[in-house]
Amino acid sequence: MGTVHAKADEHFKEIPDFAQKQTIRELPEKEQIKEVDLEGIRARVDKINVDGLARTKNDIVEDCIRELFKATDFQDVLLKAHRARVKLDELGCFKNISVFIDTSKGPKSTPDGLEVTFNVKEHKRLTGGVSTQVGNNEGALLVGMRAPNLFGRGERVQVEYSYGSKKTTNFNVAFIKPIRGRHRSAFTTSVFQQHSEWPPSSYKLIERGVLLDYGFHSTSLLKHNVQWEGNIRDLSVLSRSASFDVREQSGVSLKSALRHVLSVDLRDDIIFPSTGGLFKLTSEVAGLGGDVGFCKNEFFLQSNYSLMDDVVIQGSLWAGYLTPLSSGHKKIGAADAFYLGGPLSLRGFRPRGCGPRSADGDALGARCFWSAGVHLFAPLPFRKGSSKGGLADLFRTHLFVNAGNVLADLDIAGKSGDSDLIETLLTNLRLSYGLGIALRLGNMARLEVNYCFPHSYDKNDQTQPGVQFGIGVQFL
Amino acid sequence: MTKSTIPLIDRISVELGAQEPWPKDVKLYQPYEVEQILLPDNANCLAAQAFLKMCQLNYEVVHKQNAEAMSPTLKVPFIKAGRFVIAELEGIVQFVNGKGITLTAKLDNEQKADMRAFMSLIHNVIENAELYICWVDKETYNEVTCIRHGSVYPWPLNHIQNWQKRSQVIKKLKALDWYNKTLEDVFAEVETCCEALSTRLDGKPYFFEEGPTELDALIFGHLFTILTTPLPRSDLANTVRNYPKLIQLVQRIEKEYFKKETKN
Repeated sequence: MGTVHAKADEHFKEIPDFAQKQTIRELPEKEQIKEVDLEGIRARVDKINVDGLARTKNDIVEDCIRELFKATDFQDVLLKAHRARVKLDELGCFKNISVFIDTSKGPKSTPDGLEVTFNVKEHKRLTGGVSTQVGNNEGALLVGMRAPNLFGRGERVQVEYSYGSKKTTNFNVAFIKPIRGRHRSAFTTSVFQQHSEWPPSSYKLIERGVLLDYGFHSTSLLKHNVQWEGNIRDLSVLSRSASFDVREQSGVSLKSALRHVLSVDLRDDIIFPSTGGLFKLTSEVAGLGGDVGFCKNEFFLQSNYSLMDDVVIQGSLWAGYLTPLSSGHKKIGAADAFYLGGPLSLRGFRPRGCGPRSADGDALGARCFWSAGVHLFAPLPFRKGSSKGGLADLFRTHLFVNAGNVLADLDIAGKSGDSDLIETLLTNLRLSYGLGIALRLGNMARLEVNYCFPHSYDKNDQTQPGVQFGIGVQFL
Repeated sequence: MTKSTIPLIDRISVELGAQEPWPKDVKLYQPYEVEQILLPDNANCLAAQAFLKMCQLNYEVVHKQNAEAMSPTLKVPFIKAGRFVIAELEGIVQFVNGKGITLTAKLDNEQKADMRAFMSLIHNVIENAELYICWVDKETYNEVTCIRHGSVYPWPLNHIQNWQKRSQVIKKLKALDWYNKTLEDVFAEVETCCEALSTRLDGKPYFFEEGPTELDALIFGHLFTILTTPLPRSDLANTVRNYPKLIQLVQRIEKEYFKKETKN
């Protein structure tokens, strides 16, 4: 058997997938391709080399690669090498990592022995740059500076400032410390200042605060984030013509909230998944100190099924529920409420276009909402051949149907029982449908141009029939 | 919205407002009287109330913790009349005048100019003196201002807000060249101002023979508040007490416009 180079691909995310695709080509003497059963080849790892370590401490690297010694056959070696590579990557200390697997030589080598070499390249002490980012239907210029791997165990400090096209500014200083152990946990503490403007609700918001975050995996796919946020929020009206309901909320408030985010992401791709699902559940309790108090639950569910080669049907459900604390006297502001409508949520409606609004037309937010979407994604028609990775691969056409509803005040429905709540949420349903083109932006965001037909809506809603443009990370 | 467009919108709102009569549900917003409001704010709120009473316009006082933040000029008081939100005495006077109600109809231009000069004297001297006592004088700040101003915020926001407001006021006083004054200087300024007012009043029932004006309302607001607010330093009240003519004016307005209510 000749030398096998199993160089891990940059983009592999799913391990089973990786296993399926691995076949060994016997090169170059014989042109014929021979399938080899990788599980049948006995192998053991004699030696692991990690080249290119300078500042990084040995112990954290050892933690990442230790599993590799337990491999018994060649497929196992490949899988574990890949997993080790992912772990090394997650440390955030290395710019690039390549893996070479070779038969082991030398006096101490065993008959089935292999030698695995990780070539890593560490980040510089200080990196920085100017980039653009998208999110929440807004493009932003991002200036950032990072000091990665500060003390040799993956600690990093990052400073970011972003300025958005909708006058959103954001300043953030964070210190991140990965913690060794099988839960792949990390502790983040950050200080932030955020300025945002919301013309549909006629207010602007300045938030200054502290966020402590502890993220860990309870099983390999189940990710938890436990967060505490202390946030001083200064709300003020955007103009003199703002409605009095919004004006009444202006002023400074202090929010202190505990949050738990649970997420499972089984999708094969973030932007245009063809299989797998995403589940995200956020629970937040505000009111441990401060003068803002509520209990907020929100979940997002997305599921994808591949009908044919590239034709994917995607269903998503997004809902949230906000209740005041029973003790009662704490505030719930416009910044805490739910809003529905816009190109990222209920298409065919203006941003924050659904739900309760003041006499002057300012969206006031709701205490409860649900929305659902069904998409049929297909590649661009008239593609030449089936060339993967071409320009056409960045695009998808889609047909969609969106539906949803909001409830201004839970008290009305809450008193008359849960079944009535569901009934109330199903009556006065908002529905829109349409078609459009979606574009992948990098590997993190999606751009959509849709033609929407609002089908059913409330008379107070602001619909946006026709062309709608959306850019963001999480879409309904 | 840029700052330059605000006066235009003000003008438009006043012009538009003129077409409607005085609404029934006018509300005057101010901070909580018992636990929150400070001397300068209280004086301005009382002045606006006195003015509305002099015009015999009905209003309802609404106490709001965030009244200051709600105000379009970030100063209390402000009134909500129908769709209009108008802040501070000058704005309210202008708005009321727009509806054809005025206290200065019988005054000639010279008298009007006089009145405005005295009003700005009160703003520039008495109001600054009140701000100085509340925010710069250590004793008053520690014993009264920081407790009352912070009372509506949770810890630690109360300290942050106090500190922020204090630096704002100090910045303003520095710009007006008041910050470096000593307490004695401040009292001397108040004394000069009272002297001028007292001389101008000269035993008449109101500043102008034609009847009460917004100037009387403003003086009432400030002097009544100074006289009745308990502070660790009573020097300011004592300074004012040396001018019996002014005291009489304050008592007259109180009796005329504020005591009636309690009788009914």
